[in-house]
Amino acid sequence: MTDRASSVIGIFDNPRQLMAAIPAVRARVQGRLEAYTPYPIHGMEEALGLRKSPVGGMVFIMGVIGAVSALAFEMWTEGIDYPLMTAGKPVLSWQAFIPIMFEVTVLFACFTAGLGMLLVLNRLPFFRHPMLQSKSMPLITRDRFALAVEADERPLDVATITAALRDAGAESIEVIERLAPVGPVSPRFLLRVALGVALSCLVAGYLTYWGVKLFPLAVPVVHMLDQPRLDPQRESAFFADGSGMRLPVAGTIARGHMPYTIPDSDAAAAALANPLPRTESVLRRGRQAFNTYCTVCHGVLGDGRPSLTAAYGAKPANLVAQAIRDYSDGKIYQAIVMGRNAMPSYAADLSEDERWAVVHYVRALQRALNARDEDIPTGVSK
Amino acid sequence: MSGNQAARNLRLAAAAGLAGVVATGFVSGWERFWANWIVWFLFVLTIGLGGLFLVALEHVVGARWSVPLRRVAERISGLALLMGPVALLALLALPRLYPWAQAEGVQDPVVAAKAAWLNVPFFVLRVVVCVGLWTLAHWIFVGGSLRQDRDHDVRFNVRARRLAPIFMIVFAVTITIVSFDWISSLEPSWYSDVFGVYLFAGTFLAGLAATTLVALHLLSRGRLPGVGRDHMYNLGGFLFAFAVFWSYIGFAQYLLMWYANLPEEVFWYREHLDGLWGTLVLLLAALHFVVPFVVLVPRTAKSDARRLFWVAAIMLVAHWLDLYWMIFPVLGKGPLLGWQELSFAAFFLSTGFLWIGWELTRGADMPVGDPFLREGLAFHL
Repeated sequence: MTDRASSVIGIFDNPRQLMAAIPAVRARVQGRLEAYTPYPIHGMEEALGLRKSPVGGMVFIMGVIGAVSALAFEMWTEGIDYPLMTAGKPVLSWQAFIPIMFEVTVLFACFTAGLGMLLVLNRLPFFRHPMLQSKSMPLITRDRFALAVEADERPLDVATITAALRDAGAESIEVIERLAPVGPVSPRFLLRVALGVALSCLVAGYLTYWGVKLFPLAVPVVHMLDQPRLDPQRESAFFADGSGMRLPVAGTIARGHMPYTIPDSDAAAAALANPLPRTESVLRRGRQAFNTYCTVCHGVLGDGRPSLTAAYGAKPANLVAQAIRDYSDGKIYQAIVMGRNAMPSYAADLSEDERWAVVHYVRALQRALNARDEDIPTGVSK
Repeated sequence: MSGNQAARNLRLAAAAGLAGVVATGFVSGWERFWANWIVWFLFVLTIGLGGLFLVALEHVVGARWSVPLRRVAERISGLALLMGPVALLALLALPRLYPWAQAEGVQDPVVAAKAAWLNVPFFVLRVVVCVGLWTLAHWIFVGGSLRQDRDHDVRFNVRARRLAPIFMIVFAVTITIVSFDWISSLEPSWYSDVFGVYLFAGTFLAGLAATTLVALHLLSRGRLPGVGRDHMYNLGGFLFAFAVFWSYIGFAQYLLMWYANLPEEVFWYREHLDGLWGTLVLLLAALHFVVPFVVLVPRTAKSDARRLFWVAAIMLVAHWLDLYWMIFPVLGKGPLLGWQELSFAAFFLSTGFLWIGWELTRGADMPVGDPFLREGLAFHL
C-alpha cells in the first residue's frame, strides 16, 4: 500500500498553523508540498517555495510576436501582394495599420495569459485529480486548511510524513491512494486534439489562400466571373428579341466618329486637306497604324510586295509608284474610308486622326523610296 | 539642504521668475506672454484637478488600500484652488489670443455660429462657476477629511461616498468645458468630440504622477509609516494603465481625423505637425507613452521607488509638453524656448512647490480620522 500512496494530507484548523507547519514539515520529509485552502493565503507562494510564474514573460513575448506578425502581415498584403489605395491615402500608411496591430497584440497576449495559464501551466482540465476523491475535499472548501505531501517519482514514506504532520499540529491525517491510469480521454489526449484542430485550421487557411490564387475557375471562386450580367455574344432575357447584341439607337453615332459625307467622287475627295501638321509624333502614329493595318497587303515599304503568297489572288497597289504619288491627300484618305476595289473600308479600324496620320506616313514612304540627291544630308558622302 | 534653505531658494526663484514673466510681456509681446500664462495655468490646474479626481474616485469605489495615500492627493488638489486667481487673470488673454473675442474674428461665419457659447460674458460666467464648483468640492472632500482628523466623525465617509458620484458628473462637465474653452477655442472653427476625454486623461495622469512624487518624498522622510511596496505597486499600475489610456485617446483623435481628411478638422493637425512641431510630437509620444510603458512593464518595476520617481517626473514633463504642443502653435511660429519660457517655469514651479510645501505642514500626513486607515495600512497584494 505504501508505494501506491499518491499523497498524504494533514488538516489544520487555521492559516497560522498551516503556515507554521510548512517549514517544519519540509525539513523532515521528501516529496512535493502543496497547500489546499478555501481562500488565498497571503505569503503562501514564498512559504511553499514556488518559482515565479512564467506567465508574465510568456505574455510579453507573445504580445511582441502578435504586434510584429500583424504589422508584417499588413505590410505584405497592402504593400506587396494586393496594394489598394483607399481615399487617396498612401498605400503603406502606418496610421491605418495601428488599430489591427493593437488588437492582434492584445489577442495574442490575452490568449497566452488565459489559455497558457489554464492549459499549459496548470495542466487543466484535471479529470481525476486524487484530491477530488478524498474525504478532506469538503473540509478544505469550507473551513479547514490542508498541507499535502505529494509523490513525485519516488514512493512516499507515509510513516515519516504522518509523524511530521502530527508533530506540526495537524488535527487529522488522510492518505490518498494512487488512482488507476485514466482511460483514453486524458488531458494529454485533449491537448493533442486541440493542437491538431489548431494546426488543421492553419493548414486549411494556407491552402485556401493559395487555392483561390492558383485556381480562379474553381467553384466558388469562379462565381466572381459568373455574374448575372450581359456578356458579349450571349443571349439575354432582358430584351424582347432575346438577343444580347444590340444595334446602336437610330440616329446616333459613336463618340469620335463623324459620318463620312463625301460622295464617291474623286473631285470631291481631292478637295479634302490634311488637317494634321507634319510632325514627328504624327508620323510615328501614322507608322504604327500603317504597320498594324496596311503592311499585310501593301508591304512594309508600301511597295505592294507583302508577305502574302501568290495564292491570295488580288494584287495590292504599289503605294510608292508614280500613280499614287500623283494622288491628292484627300484621295488616299477616301481610299482608306470607302475602300477601293478589293480593299475594304478601314473607317471602323482607324479614327479620323489616325487616317490622316497614315496619309502623312504614306507620303513619307513615297519620298523615302523615290529619294533624290538633294535629299541626302550634308556631310554624308554620295 | 534644510527645509528653510529650500524654501528661501524657492522664494528667490519665484521672484526672479516673476521678474522674467513681467518682462516677457513688455519685451517679447503679449501674445507670447499669454500663451505661456495659459499653458502654465492649465498645467498646474490639471495637476490639482487630477488630485481632486483621485480623491473622489477613492470615495466612489470605497477603496481601502488608498486611504493612507489619500491625504497626499488631497494636498495636491489644493493647486486647483491656487489657480483660481490665475484663471481670473487669464481672462485678460481673451482679446489677445482668442479670435472669437476679437472684433474681426467674430465676423467669420463659423465663429459667428458659435457665438452663443463663445462670447466673453458667458465665458467669464463659466470660469467663475467652474472655479466655484471646484472650491465647493475641495471644501467637501478635502476640508471634510481634514476636519475628520480632529473629530473622527464617521459621517464624513458616508457623506463623501454619497456626494462623490455627483462630483464625478460635475468634474466630467467642467473638465470638458475647460478643454473646449481654453484650448480648443484658440482655433474656434476646429472641433474634436473627444477633446474633453483627452484632457481628462492627461489630467488624471498628472494628478497620479504628482501624488506618486509627493508620496515618494514623504516615504523617504519616513512620514508615511506602514505604506509599503504593495501600495506603491498600485500607484505604479495606475500610472502604467493611464499612460496607455492617454495614448489610446490621443491616437484615436488623430486617426479619425486622418482617415476622414475633412479640411475643417485636418487643418489643426497640419498646423500642429508642421516642421519642428512634428518633431516635438515624436518627443511627446516618447516621453508620454514609450518611456513609461517600457520602464513600468515588469511587475517588479511598478513598486520600485527609483523607477516610479523617474517615470512620474517624466510624465509631468510630458504633460506640460502636451499642453505646450496644443497651445503654442497658435502663435504662428515654431516651438519657442527662451528665457521667457524659463522665467514662467521658474515662477510657476517655485510657487507650486512652495504651496505644496505649505500644504505638507497642514494636518496629518495620513487621514488619521478615517476608520479604514488601519485596514488600508494592512493592505497586501
